[in-house]
Amino acid sequence: MSATPLLELRRLNKSFGPVQVLRDVDFAAYPGEVTALIGDNGAGKSTLVKCIGGIYPIDSGDYLFEGNPVTVHGPRDAAAHGVEIVYQDLALCDNLDIVQNMFLGRERKHGIVLDETSMEQLAAETLAGLSVRTVKSVRQLVSSLSGGQRQTVAIAKAVLWNSKLVVLDEPTAALGVAQTAQVLELVRRLADAGLGVVIISHNMNDVFAVADRIAAMYLGRMAAQVRASDVTHQQVVELITAGRSGDLGIRDGDAAAAPVRTVKEL
Amino acid sequence: MRAGPSQEEIRRQNLGALLRYVHVRGPTSRAALTAHLGLNRSTIGALTADLTAAGLVSEGLPQDQSGRAGRPSLVVRPEAEVYVFALVIEVDRLVAARIGLGGAVLDRREARRPRGVRDPADVVAPLADFVREMQRAASPSARYVGSGAAVSAMVRAEDGLVRLGPQFGWIDEPLGEALAKVLSDEVQGGDRAVPVRNNADLSALAEHVRGVAVDTDNIVYVTGDAGIGGGIIAGGRLVSGHGGYGGEVGHMVVNPNGKPCNCGSRGCWETEIGEYALLHAAGRDADSGTGRAAVETLVDAAGRGDAQAQAAIRQVGDWLGFGVANLVNIFNPEMVIFGGNLREVYIAAAAQVRSRLNRNGLPACREHVRLRTPALGDDAALLGAAELAFGPLLADPLEAAADNP
Repeated sequence: MSATPLLELRRLNKSFGPVQVLRDVDFAAYPGEVTALIGDNGAGKSTLVKCIGGIYPIDSGDYLFEGNPVTVHGPRDAAAHGVEIVYQDLALCDNLDIVQNMFLGRERKHGIVLDETSMEQLAAETLAGLSVRTVKSVRQLVSSLSGGQRQTVAIAKAVLWNSKLVVLDEPTAALGVAQTAQVLELVRRLADAGLGVVIISHNMNDVFAVADRIAAMYLGRMAAQVRASDVTHQQVVELITAGRSGDLGIRDGDAAAAPVRTVKEL
Repeated sequence: MRAGPSQEEIRRQNLGALLRYVHVRGPTSRAALTAHLGLNRSTIGALTADLTAAGLVSEGLPQDQSGRAGRPSLVVRPEAEVYVFALVIEVDRLVAARIGLGGAVLDRREARRPRGVRDPADVVAPLADFVREMQRAASPSARYVGSGAAVSAMVRAEDGLVRLGPQFGWIDEPLGEALAKVLSDEVQGGDRAVPVRNNADLSALAEHVRGVAVDTDNIVYVTGDAGIGGGIIAGGRLVSGHGGYGGEVGHMVVNPNGKPCNCGSRGCWETEIGEYALLHAAGRDADSGTGRAAVETLVDAAGRGDAQAQAAIRQVGDWLGFGVANLVNIFNPEMVIFGGNLREVYIAAAAQVRSRLNRNGLPACREHVRLRTPALGDDAALLGAAELAFGPLLADPLEAAADNP
């Protein structure tokens, strides 16, 4: 696949007061690939995503986008580079329709009035481009949509802005089986269309169903970043729970900072 | 020995290439055709004029002309009035559709089919009704150019003889002949052979032409209903074998001490990953339903925490990965596509499938393989049958068009 990562983080550190949440984290996401970011609760996944999205400033480390070092001071900087993040709560407004939600805060104007026609057209085109057929009308209120449809709208909203990297925080967490399958297929299509996709998930099946690479975090550190075609379910579970699996993962030598526990101890 | 292709052959080749391009990729400007086909502008102009005269394409101004300076390049569109009938015979359903050049489904009829052994006449009669209804509804100016059929059975490519259809209880049934009779009775000018192929082969073809595997020349398509079917495309060509029976991956033996298979052998892949195997492993008996709905219910139950359903899906997922690893080692595909109810099984058991593939597949063979679900869903076989029907037209557009005035 392509050699230059779309997004690369090197030796990223982040502390909240005395608590060091991210410790020398390396992370890379590639165009046309889905990278799954996994780890136990409190491993630092959400903090890492918020650093990527510019919500948290980083203490130290390099943030490279398309191979160039950049500084990200806030969500607008991240968006300017083409990074869009879909949070778990989706941040959709129930009382607005699909078009209004997709253009919320970035409405198109025609003079002083809103250019409803072009927004509606673009929203419909974006949904059609993602092969979304489950939504009947783009003028439907979001409150009338199912969980899977909401997720779809949130993803379409992220894609609308010529984004290059889309980060999805647990997109299938609250969905039923059929809707999960649809959202996973949508995630796959995004990457097949050339975007870089990062997906946070707790579900090992979802990870293996869509991911090209798997980045496993353990106690604030990156235990390993591996290709999905090189590892087994068992190894990935060990990386999450113990930080290492065979030759993969955090080595004993540098484990002093964060004690590595074995599966037995847990 | 001949010096090379004659001018006439080159022209035929170019006409076919141009028509195929707009048929597969949709309306395309002359400028884009010039670039993609590697022919010069005047050749494209002449070819387009010939195809327009034959009523196969039409030309017009682009719909969206905003923001472009200069004279816009004319857009060549496939003529959707030119149509074929596509027929699908599967274990649980019969489908017939009228499909226009360009791949648009113009009209479509579908019927549920009860499982069990049936006389071929019971399958052909409803299809004949569908064809008659759709033919009547078609506009008078529409032009019929052929038909194609997909069946979940082993078919002799030469004449559409079903050699073995375990799900229908068919042995050596002349299905191609029966369908040809339907078409010649119902459609004016329909008196010609109806090509029949295996449904998984045609699904693979459709996904390759206009689905998830466009621009991917090495694929393995596996699909499941009551049985397991396979379609393999290697180097851009369907692997059909000597008689048309190639790609029967469901009957590769994976467990010599396994369950007897309805093909007469024992331990076929189908007996480990087929619908009956899945439902049996989950303790569902025949009374609790079969078919796609039963598999969906089972996967849903597993999602809600039914331990027995979860165990069954994991077990079947492991066997699925086992067979896929074998296929990946043999064919080194770029993509493996899971169709039919294997879509649900794959998504629910991806961890098992991937893990088994990574454990058993050769690293060099598996490193670039992508596991995917179909983009065309359950319509793949139907669209594949249409491609089969359009085959002669795309091979020699003017000759075929002259036969169907």
